[in-house]
This record gives sequence, structure tokens and C-alpha cells, in this order.
Amino acid sequence: MKSLLSLTVNGRQRDDGVAGNLLLVDYLREVVGLTGTKIGCDGGECGLCTVLVDGKAQHSCLTLAASCAGKDIETIEAMSDGGRLNAIQRGFHEKLGAQCGFCTPGMVMAAEALLRDNPDPDEDTIRTEMASNICRCTGYVKIIEAVQFAVDEIKANPNSKQEAA
Amino acid sequence: MENMPAFRLHRPETAAEAVRLKTSDARSRYLAGGTDMIVNVRRGIEAPETMIDLTAIAAITEISEISGGDGGLRIGAGVKLSDLAAHADLRRDYPAITQAAASVAGPTHRRYGTIGGNLCLDTRCLFYNQSQWWRESNNFCLKHKGDVCHVAPGGKRCFAAFSGDVAPAMLVYGAEVDLKGPNGARTIPLVDLYRDDGMDHLALEADELLVSIRLPKPVAGTVSGYEKSRIRGSIDFPLAGCAVRVTMDDGKVADIAIALTAVNPSPHIVTGLDDFVGRPLDDDALDKIREMVRSQAKPMLTTTVRPWYRRRVVGALARRLTAKLAGA
Amino acid sequence: MDGNGLPPAPIKSIGVPMPMVDGPEKISGRALYTADFYDHAALTGCIKRADVAHAHILSVDISAAEALPGVHAVITGSETDEGHGVLPVSRTELPIAFDRVRYKGEPVAAVAADSIEIAKAACDLIKVEYEELPAYFTAADSIAEGSVDLHDHRPGNIERHVDYEIGDVDAGFGQAELVHETEYHCAEVCQVQTEPHAAFAEWDGERDELTVRASTQVPYYVHLMLSKILKMPKSKIRVIKPFLGGGFGARTEALNVELITAMLARRVRGTVRTVISREETFITHRGRPEQTVKIRMGMTKDGKVTAIDCQTIQRGGGHSGYGIVTILYSGSMLFAIYDLQNVRYDGKRVLTNTPPCGAFRGHGTVNVRHAFENAMDEMAIKLGLDPFAVRRANLIAEMGHVANDLWVNSYGLPECLDVVEKASGWKDRKGNLAPGKGLGLACSHYVSGASKPVNWTGEPHATINLKLDFDGTIVILTGASEIGQGSSTILVQCVAEVLGIDPTRVKIIAADSRVTPKDNGSYSSRVTYMVGNAAIEAATNLRGVLVAAAAKKFDVNPEDVECLGETYRAGSQDEGMTFDEVAMAALEGTGTITVKGNFDTHPDSWGGKKYRGAAIGGSMAFAYAAQVVEVTVDPDTAEIKVDQVWVAHDCGKALNPLTVEGQIQGSVWMGMGQAMTEETRYHKGLLISGNMLDYRVPTFVESPPIEAHIVESIDPHGPFGAKEAGEASLAGFLPALTSAVADAMGVRAHELPVTPDRLLRILEDKEREMRSSATAAE
Repeated sequence: MKSLLSLTVNGRQRDDGVAGNLLLVDYLREVVGLTGTKIGCDGGECGLCTVLVDGKAQHSCLTLAASCAGKDIETIEAMSDGGRLNAIQRGFHEKLGAQCGFCTPGMVMAAEALLRDNPDPDEDTIRTEMASNICRCTGYVKIIEAVQFAVDEIKANPNSKQEAA
Repeated sequence: MENMPAFRLHRPETAAEAVRLKTSDARSRYLAGGTDMIVNVRRGIEAPETMIDLTAIAAITEISEISGGDGGLRIGAGVKLSDLAAHADLRRDYPAITQAAASVAGPTHRRYGTIGGNLCLDTRCLFYNQSQWWRESNNFCLKHKGDVCHVAPGGKRCFAAFSGDVAPAMLVYGAEVDLKGPNGARTIPLVDLYRDDGMDHLALEADELLVSIRLPKPVAGTVSGYEKSRIRGSIDFPLAGCAVRVTMDDGKVADIAIALTAVNPSPHIVTGLDDFVGRPLDDDALDKIREMVRSQAKPMLTTTVRPWYRRRVVGALARRLTAKLAGA
Repeated sequence: MDGNGLPPAPIKSIGVPMPMVDGPEKISGRALYTADFYDHAALTGCIKRADVAHAHILSVDISAAEALPGVHAVITGSETDEGHGVLPVSRTELPIAFDRVRYKGEPVAAVAADSIEIAKAACDLIKVEYEELPAYFTAADSIAEGSVDLHDHRPGNIERHVDYEIGDVDAGFGQAELVHETEYHCAEVCQVQTEPHAAFAEWDGERDELTVRASTQVPYYVHLMLSKILKMPKSKIRVIKPFLGGGFGARTEALNVELITAMLARRVRGTVRTVISREETFITHRGRPEQTVKIRMGMTKDGKVTAIDCQTIQRGGGHSGYGIVTILYSGSMLFAIYDLQNVRYDGKRVLTNTPPCGAFRGHGTVNVRHAFENAMDEMAIKLGLDPFAVRRANLIAEMGHVANDLWVNSYGLPECLDVVEKASGWKDRKGNLAPGKGLGLACSHYVSGASKPVNWTGEPHATINLKLDFDGTIVILTGASEIGQGSSTILVQCVAEVLGIDPTRVKIIAADSRVTPKDNGSYSSRVTYMVGNAAIEAATNLRGVLVAAAAKKFDVNPEDVECLGETYRAGSQDEGMTFDEVAMAALEGTGTITVKGNFDTHPDSWGGKKYRGAAIGGSMAFAYAAQVVEVTVDPDTAEIKVDQVWVAHDCGKALNPLTVEGQIQGSVWMGMGQAMTEETRYHKGLLISGNMLDYRVPTFVESPPIEAHIVESIDPHGPFGAKEAGEASLAGFLPALTSAVADAMGVRAHELPVTPDRLLRILEDKEREMRSSATAAE
């Protein structure tokens, strides 16, 4: 049995009929068609599916789509600024925060959530506040450098960061 | 598409409506943040026909001062663990609680996981927290669908461990919980919420909902803390956890409470600590505390880490934390 | 002169820290991985798995499943009688078990249905009748007297027993001033690449042709195995590797996921999409085997190793997989890192009723290196020698063939040692750290591609095609699989460097069998070395074409043409031609230009003939690493914190220092996972740790800073002098960690991973021993 779900995805208002048991990650990937959000585990153990719900990081694989009624969802697809990588993404690119790239969308979203709350985190804070996300390629060294790059970039050019939707 | 059992979802906006919806379907479950519940649903451990999503109930998401009486704080069950951990008054007055909340799972889990969910967390076991295929291949277990305990074969008792971090920290402060059920509301000591039975560890009546937690105002000079052991610094459930609250008076113990998690089917308040009142916490006392904690912790083979270690480490943590707090 | 008033010059691409060419796609979420392919007509594939560890299959009843509405196909082990496997001699693994189940979780049937819910329900309706057999979950049980054979052609459950002696081991021990025997046990570990396995198979019902997208490191192997399993001509199959979420060896072999999905697609004459769960990905396994290594080492008082006797046994799982190769690597890679003359090796690969192991990063070498380096450290302590001095006493002095005929032509290990000794402050800090802190050193190495491919066809090892067209774009066509290691970026850099052009002019299309030349795939760190060399040859050929065209326009001899990358000219006064003009000139009369480059290995690198299987380990070049690990051990909880790692890796010329660093850090860190937290656990053959909570991949919090230093011993045959960069640094972490803990606490863990429960046990045993010896002394 489906009911109507009204919410905002990446700044666009949507109304979709969804079943009560539909996971947010499946809604995003298969109903909306946003496949940037990845699935890496069987529930809450890897952080790959991290999206922002009302600006806070959340596992879309443990969230029901219907629980997001009236909420504002942001995914990796909304991060680029006019088709160009935003400061965090540029950090991941320039500093090699992404190798295979499969954890990267979730990492970028976790970093986005972190920097909105705390624009100037030190290394320990980056480590503890992104620690729901697993990467298997980098040993995290270059991901930390990527986030630090973004911090410096945003500080140097506060307007480079797009407004939160 | 991930495999999900079919269920109806309700999103009530009041606790009363939640309870009413819960009562209307025998196979219904409350759903808070979902960090544990949805995992269990995906694994077929929970197979509800109706889920009652509590996240739209605004009234249970607040932290407020209790007016009248001895004061204290009331914490809505829907408060997110990250908000709890960051709350300035709590950090000042109940450090064990904020430290425990800040240590749950990983940062993302804490941003949508709730205190109510953490207190009502299902017990955990290697043979239980597995996929449907896995459990079926292993003939299920005593806790769910089966008649054998793989931890203690032959026994009729379930040893699945309660692994919530915040409960012991609230227990050392003598917290109470407000419950709302079809038969009305009641307030009970948090300690009475738990039973020492891994199969049925919550003493909730049918359809009863945990609405809020009451923390009494702490005695001036009280210090507290929480420490846990786990293999990784994030995401993992605790292998053992320990909350300590101490009030010292002129170098001697005026009051002390220690509670443990992850080493028993319910959070455990260490008994026998009254003996230390009026005594200094010297090495001899601390060693005795360590051994008391070890003797009261009863970890079983419910994790991949040996129970032997969990018992050793919970004692070591309790000793170290007590020493640190007493010296502070 | 260009706009800056500077003379035009070739643009440098090699040695430049360049971000990955496919970074923007991955970082923006636009990159499509296999599971990102959807088709509204696609059916969902699902695998029914055995709930017994070892049994004869008596019957499989699929009637109820077939009758379920929404089910389109149900297949069983009778779908094919052809086996798959990596080695031609052991292709005995059926994609779906037919008459015998050999591990819990092995596929016994598969379903294609309208939805995952229906597919799962159908799997539940399939009834399999088993006659259970005794099951063996340890190597020792499996080879015990009277055990039942898992495979008829492997009596006694020995997949391969390798046994040889090189030099004169007894004489070597005779020269030793200290002979020491020690044993190490390494738990089984799994790659846990972040992307669960997936396959998307489209059957063209009109033409009876098949297109498969699969999460694989080696699309060529998938192609071969699809042809074999489906008994179809290779020409009717197309294999595409989309973006890949890591591999680390788990996806070197063709896996049952893609084979089963293809069989389902053929059955339904349509499209089937299968994405398996994390638990199923764990069960599909192909990780590093549980392994016990016993080493007896003879040493002079100066630290020179005089003889080695190494005995090892691996628990291989229910099918051959890479087993023979793994057990051979464990022996052959004792060599080519130090000067060893006298070595006896006895290795057994055992079949057991657990998921099949495979080729995990550092394939075959890691656990033996762990034991070897620990043995060196133990003996250094006994002899009162510095661990660096012991390594330096054993360095290879001359380039060329070593005792087991491996071919060493570049050797940066001495410099690696110097670098980490200095960077870690070893001389001042070792022995002077606070209580509970310690430092450990270890070295490791790895091949730059296996010199003999498993499928010996006479083709070159690598082939690159380059296409240049009217638009001035150079397109690299390669079968080499970008798996996150950066191979596409390296190939772009190689081509751009040879031509001296702007690297953004070079685009790459990889791993589509319909479009790109065949490649042996991404394993054994072969791509940079082999495909890189092929890319250089192809680009050199293209430059020849361009120079000839320019010469014709300039009316000069080709040798008088100066190729400056984006400009060609006949003399320094000449305005010259732009690259686009030269390209158009080259296209005159011929149209689109395609050139090719190949690479083949030198026969001197093929390993020797001193024993059966001596080709394994043969490589054109070896990369080396040394690392120092600093730890702090909590005496109360026995938790180990890695404070810092200093690692130096000799990768020859670092073609891209940025991606080289990333590879080194990732390797070290993956070694840390194996050393400290990761292990698979079974309960009666059922994988307990089939999730990312119980299988503990390290998180941000406990992962240390890793200071990576690049050492460049230019290899005479490598592309621009390069060697491998992505594996050699892994193995060293394990023994460096246990040696650092030994330095901190005076006890050495002989069992991996060194979890706090294991370490606390050792610490308490030592305390008890000291107490009792103190009591005895009174």
C-alpha cells in the first residue's frame, strides 16, 4: 500500500507514492534516479549511503522514505556548483581523497555536514566526526587532507561555497 | 532494491496517538531513529506489520528543567544522542551521560539515533544479530524462533548482552523514566526498566512507550565519567562499558555508584560499594573495586572477543575511571 | 614563441602529482558502477545458498519456486557442467553446486524474478535434499587420517604440496652462530572492497548474444569463463567493466555472481540484474587464507642469515581458486628481498569446508613475510643487534638472478632503510621512549606483474591502441581495468609524456571487450609496468607518424623535425605547426590514425626451473618497502594505538607521486587492519563475521598518520623506470607492529590480529611467569 510522500530532494519539491517500507536509499536511487548515493553494507555499518536530512548526516539505508515527509534531502548530486566541483569535492579531487570512489559520495556528504556545523575542525575533529564512514582505499590520510583543503579554500573564499539549499 | 518486509508506517504527532496506533495492531513496533530497529527489520529479526514512527512527536524532543520538587532535568526520549552529548547543562552536571552519549556507535548514528532508542536497545549476541539466512542455517536460537542457546547449549536462559552506552551513565544518577501506555502514564526508576533476561530485558507493559527520562539534581561536588572498551574507535558496540559517579568529602568517599553495560543481559548497578563510604580511594580500595566489578560482570560468548577479556577490561576501566575521578 | 614569450616546450606529465583523470565523475556521483545500471525490464537475480558445509546434493525441488507468480527462471547446478577457476588445471568450481556442496553459503540454485521480495520468496521455496558429509573447518582436520576428500582429484585434501631446497640448508645452519625457530599464525582476512559484488547481464534474444557488466578486476577472465560455462563462442559475448569500487584481489577470478547472472539472462532471454549483499560478498570471499608459518633461521653473530627452513600450511577453502599460486608465492617470495642462498620450503595448500580463498593484495607473500621479519627481530634481540643492522647485513649486493632465479634489476631497499631510519628518529628514540611505547621495523617487497600469465596464449602481455582523429583528441583504448588504483591516469600520463602534449588532450576508454584490446587485467601489480610500457610504445609509434607528417609538410627529413608537444617545427626560427595542424596533415590520405603498442616480458624474468611451479614469483621488477611503526600500549586494557608510521617504498620512477603516495598509505593501512582488527570467524562453517560490524575494517579514529616516502631506484625495464607501488608496503606493517609491541611491552604476539584480548592474555602470562620465577628464586 502506497501513500503520498511530499519532500524536497536537492532543492526540488517532489510528490511520490511510496510504500511504508521503502528505504530512503532505494527511493533516491530507484524512484528519483539519483544513483550517486551508494550501498556498501547490509545496514548502517559503512556510511556509504550518507545523505543530509534537514542538513544533518543520516544513513539513507536505515531511514524510511516515508519518515522524510516534509523534509529536505540533499545528496551528492546537489554538491557540484554549476557543474563544477565544490570546495569539498575539489579537495577530494586535488588531494586524492577518492581512489575507487565508491565511498566518496558518502564521505563528501559527511564532510559537508561537518563543515556546516564546524567550519574549522582540527584533525581530531575530522577523524571523530567522519568516523561513521569507512574507506577501504586511502587509509583516510588523504581524505583528511581533502577536508583540510576544503576548510582552507572556504576560509580564503567564503563565497565559493554554494548556499545550502 | 534492498529486501524489506512489507509493513504499514504511521507517523503520529503525539505520544498518545502513538500508543493508540500501537494498541490497534498486535504486530506493531515503535520506531525511533532506526539505527538498530531497521537493521533488525532488514534481518528479519523484527517482522512488524505496522511501524509507528516516533520522529514526528515534537513533545518528546526537548530537554527541560523540572519545575518544582528537587528540580533536575527531563529529557525527551526523542532527543538525538548528538544533541544530548552537546547539551551544556548536561555536560556540566552529568558528564558521564554526555560522555556515554558521545561514544555511541559513530557520529552519523548519533545524529539521528535517540536516547529512547538507546535505552530500549535490543540485547545483542553473535548468534542473533545475523541475517535471516544465517540464523535459519544455524537453527535459530532461544531468543528468536529457536529452542537452543548457542552460547550456553543446554541452558534455557538467554545471555544476549545489553549494549547501550547511556543506560549505565543514567543509572549512576538514579534516573527515572516516564512511560505512557494504554493504561495510562507511570514513572519508574530506570533500573526497574530492565530485567536480567536477554530474551526479554525490558519490563515494559504491552504497547508502553518510553516518553522521557528524569534526572535528579546531582549533589554539589559530584563527579562522574564513562569509559568503554571496543576494538575500533567508532561504530562498534561496546565490549564493556562502565559509568562511575563519586562524591568525595575531605578525601573520603561520601557516595559512589558504578554501573556496567555490555557484560550482562541488562545494565548492571554494581552492588556492595557502600563499604567504601567514609574511606579514601587508595590503591587497596581501587583494587577491591576492580575485583568487585569483575565478579559482578558476567559476559558470555556473545561477541567475537573473548568473555574473559571483557570481564578483565571492565574491571580495569572501573578502577582507572574511579581513580581519575577521585583524584580530580 | 608562445604568448608568454617563452619557446614552446614539451609538457611534462611523468613525475607530476596529477589528480585522477576520472576523479570528477567519482566525486560528483556521476560515475556509474555496476549496481547503478537499471533497466525497467530487468529482472532481479537472487542466489539460493547452501545451509550445510559439506554434503552430497540428493535432489533440488524447484517446482514451488517456479510456480510463484513473478518468477521467470529458476536454475540449479544442472544449468552447466563446466567449471570455472583461474588456473587451467583447476577449473573445477561450478557456478552453482551440482552434486556436492563444499562450504556453507555455496550457491545451490538461482532465481530471476520481478522483484527482490519475490526472488527471495522463491529461493525459500526451493527444497534441497542433502546427505551430509563430515565437514572440516581447519586445515589440520581436513588432512587428518581418514578424512573424506572434498574433490576426487585431490586425495587427502591437499590442493598442492610444494617442497624444495635451494642451496645447502644443513650446511647453512652449520655456519650459523644462532639458530632460532619460531611460529606465527595469521587469521583469514577478506578484502572488503566497499562495493558489494554486482552483475548486469543482457541477453540479445534475436542474435543469441550476451553483454555482461560485472564488478571485476579482470574482464578478460570473466569473458573466458562466460564462454566456457555457457558454451558460447567468445565472439558472441561482450564484457564491460563499469566503474569499480575496489578489488584488492577479491575480483581477480571470475566470480559465481556474474556467471549465474549471465545464465539467468540466457534463461529468461532478457536482462537480469544481481546485486548481492555484503554478507554474500563476504561468503564469495577469495580473501587471504588462514596460515601458520614456522620458520627456522640460522644467523651469524653479525646478523647474516645463513639458512632458512620454512614450513607453512594454508586453509584454502572449498575450491581451488588461486590456491596453487598462493602456496607457490609463499615460497618463492622468501627470495629477492635479501641475499638468501640456503632455503628449504615446505608449503601445503589444503582444501577445507570454508569459502574459497583467493589473491588478496600482497598475494601469498604477506603471512610468510610476517613470520620472516619477526624471526629476524627476535634474533636481533637475542644477538643484541639493531634491527636495521640485521637487514643491512642481508642486502642483495649484485643485480641479476637470485638463488631461486628471480631477476632483480633495481633494488632501492638500502635507501628505504636509510630513509625510514632517519624519518622515524630511530637512532635517538629506539630504546629511549616512555614506558608503553615502542618502535618496530620491517621490510617487504612485491612483484611488478607476474611474468608468466596463467593463460599462456603467445599473445603479448599487454596491448594498447591509440586513436587520433580530426578533432586532435588522442583516445587510449585499453583493456586495463581501472579499479581505483589509478591505472587510467597513469596510462594518460605515459602517452602525454611521450608526445609532450597537454594531458587533457588524451582521453581513455577502458575495459569494454567490444572496443578495447584485450588485457590480462588488474592483478599482481602488473598494469603500470606492463600496460604502461605498451602505452609508451604506442605513443612512440604515434609520434613517429606525426613527425613523418610534419616532415612532409616542412619538406625536411623526419630527424630534422623537432617535436615540442603542442608544437612541431623544423628549426628554432620556424613558426612551426600546431599539434592540430600536424594531426590533420597526418590524416591526409589515411584518415583516422590508429597505432598500437605492445609489451612482452623478458624470458630472464620467467622464474626458474629449479622446482615445479618456479615460474610463480617471476617478474620483470621487484618493488621494496621498509617501514617503522610506533605504538603506545595501554597496560590496563592492552589496547594498541599506532601513533605513527614512516614508510619508504621503492617504486622505481614515481610516475605520479600523488597516486603513488595514496597507494602506499592504503597498503600500509590495509596491513594494519590485518595486523590489529580484521579476521573472519566461523561457527561450524557459518561465517560469523559476514558483516562490517564483526569484520572490523579500521575507522578514521584508530587509523594512524602514515608518512610516505618515495624511493626511486630507476628500473632499467620499467616504464620511465617505474615499478609497482600498490602492494609491497602492505606486508611490512604486520611484523613492524608486532616488533613495536615487543619493544614496548617485552612480549611478542604470535597470533594475528593482535586484538586486545590476545595481547592481554600474553601480558598476563608473562606477569604470571615472572611472579612464579621470582617465587622459585626465593
